[in-house]
Amino acid sequence: MNRKIVSSALFYLAVAAIVLVVLFPFLWMLASSFKTQVDIISWPPKIFFSPTLQNYRKVFGEQDFLKYFLNSTIVGASAVGLSLVLGLPAAYSIARFRQRKLAVFILLARLMPGISFLMPWYIVFSRLDLMDSYTALILSHILIALPIVVWIMSTYFSTIPPEMEESAMVDGATRQYAFWAIILPLSGPGIITATTLSFIFSWNNFMFSQVLSMEKTKTLPIAVYNFLSYAEVDWGGVMAAAVAIMAPAIVLTMIFQKYVVKGLTMGAVKG
Amino acid sequence: MAGVVLRKVVKQFGAVKAVDDLSIEIQDKEFAVLVGSSGCGKTTALRMIAGLEAVTSGEIYIGDTLVNDMAPKDRDIAMVFQNYALYPHMNIRENMGFGLRIRKIPKAEIDARVEEAADILGLGDLLDRKPKELSGGQRQRVAVGRAIVRKPKLFLFDEPLSNLDAKLRVAMRAEISKLHRRLGATIIYVTHDQVEAMTMANRIFIMSKGILEQSGAPMDVYSKPANLFVAGFIGSPAMNFIDATLVAADGGLVIDTGSFRVRAPDSFASRLGAHAGRKVVFGVRPEDIAARAAASVDEGNTFAAQADVVETLGSEIFVHLTCGAHAIVSRMEAPESPLRVGDTIEVQLKMAKTHVFDPETSLTLV
Ligand SMILES: Nc1ncnc2c1ncn2[C@@H]1O[C@H](COP(=O)(O)OP(=O)(O)OP(=O)(O)O)[C@@H](O)[C@H]1O
Ligand SMILES: [Mg+2]
Repeated sequence: MNRKIVSSALFYLAVAAIVLVVLFPFLWMLASSFKTQVDIISWPPKIFFSPTLQNYRKVFGEQDFLKYFLNSTIVGASAVGLSLVLGLPAAYSIARFRQRKLAVFILLARLMPGISFLMPWYIVFSRLDLMDSYTALILSHILIALPIVVWIMSTYFSTIPPEMEESAMVDGATRQYAFWAIILPLSGPGIITATTLSFIFSWNNFMFSQVLSMEKTKTLPIAVYNFLSYAEVDWGGVMAAAVAIMAPAIVLTMIFQKYVVKGLTMGAVKG
Repeated sequence: MAGVVLRKVVKQFGAVKAVDDLSIEIQDKEFAVLVGSSGCGKTTALRMIAGLEAVTSGEIYIGDTLVNDMAPKDRDIAMVFQNYALYPHMNIRENMGFGLRIRKIPKAEIDARVEEAADILGLGDLLDRKPKELSGGQRQRVAVGRAIVRKPKLFLFDEPLSNLDAKLRVAMRAEISKLHRRLGATIIYVTHDQVEAMTMANRIFIMSKGILEQSGAPMDVYSKPANLFVAGFIGSPAMNFIDATLVAADGGLVIDTGSFRVRAPDSFASRLGAHAGRKVVFGVRPEDIAARAAASVDEGNTFAAQADVVETLGSEIFVHLTCGAHAIVSRMEAPESPLRVGDTIEVQLKMAKTHVFDPETSLTLV
């Protein structure tokens, strides 16, 4: 009995330690975003302070933050949307016709450092006069989203018994219709997982927009980076900007975490 | 007209030949049962007929049409899968109407046909439920219902009863037989359960390792098995196989097992004559072994054996007998005074119903 208490105490201690390590930078950032410059650099750090919204006001006021926010949303949503359109049928085909090699190939594209694509893209998009266009940025972000969609969904589809669509096909459906009317409606959790994850990855991406965008299509992370460079010492502003960037990702994850965990572990068990 | 013909059909999965040179002919309106042990290629054969699996070689006809390259949806068939494959996101009504909706049948007619099928199958109260809210037996009925609303010419069933408990299985067996008469359609039914095969089929097709061993009416296959495999597969408990030597003696043929000797009926002589002096396998069905009636005359068909295990089923008993080196199972009427383990009894064989096989070719001699 005592041993049980001790061991569960140790367990929660370990959990607390891990959570602290993971969350500390985030909490630090969150707290700092509500502090004045003086409070941020004071030593020892102030745990109790009178919060201020001044940093946020500055971020949203001085910078055209809303524009970058919209850019990130447009690019992320379009890239994810197109990736779903392309990736769902691809994943289905990989799952049902055992095209494992194709799946690995797509994953490899994802594992290659993104920077190695940038040079050719830069040349191609410049020639096509597509620099600083949504088209170029969305296409580049498909490289981020598509492999995630294909990978997650192919594992997900392979957990659905093939008799589902076979039964529909005998009943008079084409394979395409069976996919649409039977398989997709059963794939909600998988699609939510794939959408959430690929959107977050797209949202967080820095490199592609840094190279392919100028003023018009700049995404959020670039905006923060710029903020950092010309307001070097304004830690409060940087922190507030960082919080604003992370907020959508965190909110998305919290809303869909049930599905995300389910979708991911489903792949893990069957994979 | 929806007879089905398979001509020299082969299905190869990599190195595995799941179906090997299968030729069968199923008449219109026939209830055909494909039966065989697990892995013998029954499902594969059925899936090829449905068009869910392409043939490696050979031809499949439904009616007069060669369907090798026809999509499943164009074959006018319905299939009931082993796991039922009900669509989890649709309620029972939508599940059963799915095939009709695809075919753009008017809604009123869909509703009428679904109600009719639900009536036949006793599903009336369940139409608005989702599949996961049903029991196994109810799901099985829905799967059958989804097939019959379509009114196809050909039904394919893949072990639809294997997930049900014994009692429900017996009930559903009778229902499916009734349904067959009522629908007047061709049914191809796959099972590994020879009792289902025997009770439901007009004709059974016995497969093993991808090849067809024998086909025929259930009673023909039971009484005239073509080879050792079929003889052992059909019948429960299984036929006793006893290694023996055929010897010419007393102006006739005697089957000598080493533990007992029995006289082959004269009617066997013409087909067994050439085998005198050779090794054979003697086959006796448990139901053809009885306790010797006190008054009967010994016609060279009796011997003494010891009861090792006695299983009482009520009106019948299964007795596991030992005679010398041989273990024999018999199925007999329960005697008035109970048989006890260790008792020695005189048993009598119905010799005319026994079989003799050639151990080298496995083929039936008589
Ligand atoms: N898609 C496949 N790929 C490779 N081999 C397969 C495939 N489907 C079936 N097989 C093999 O073909 C053989 C026949 O399989 P099949 O499913 O037809 O057997 P079955 O008679 O239906 O058995 P059961 O009674 O267990 O359902 C088996 O050896 C099986 O392993
Ligand atoms: Mg099978």
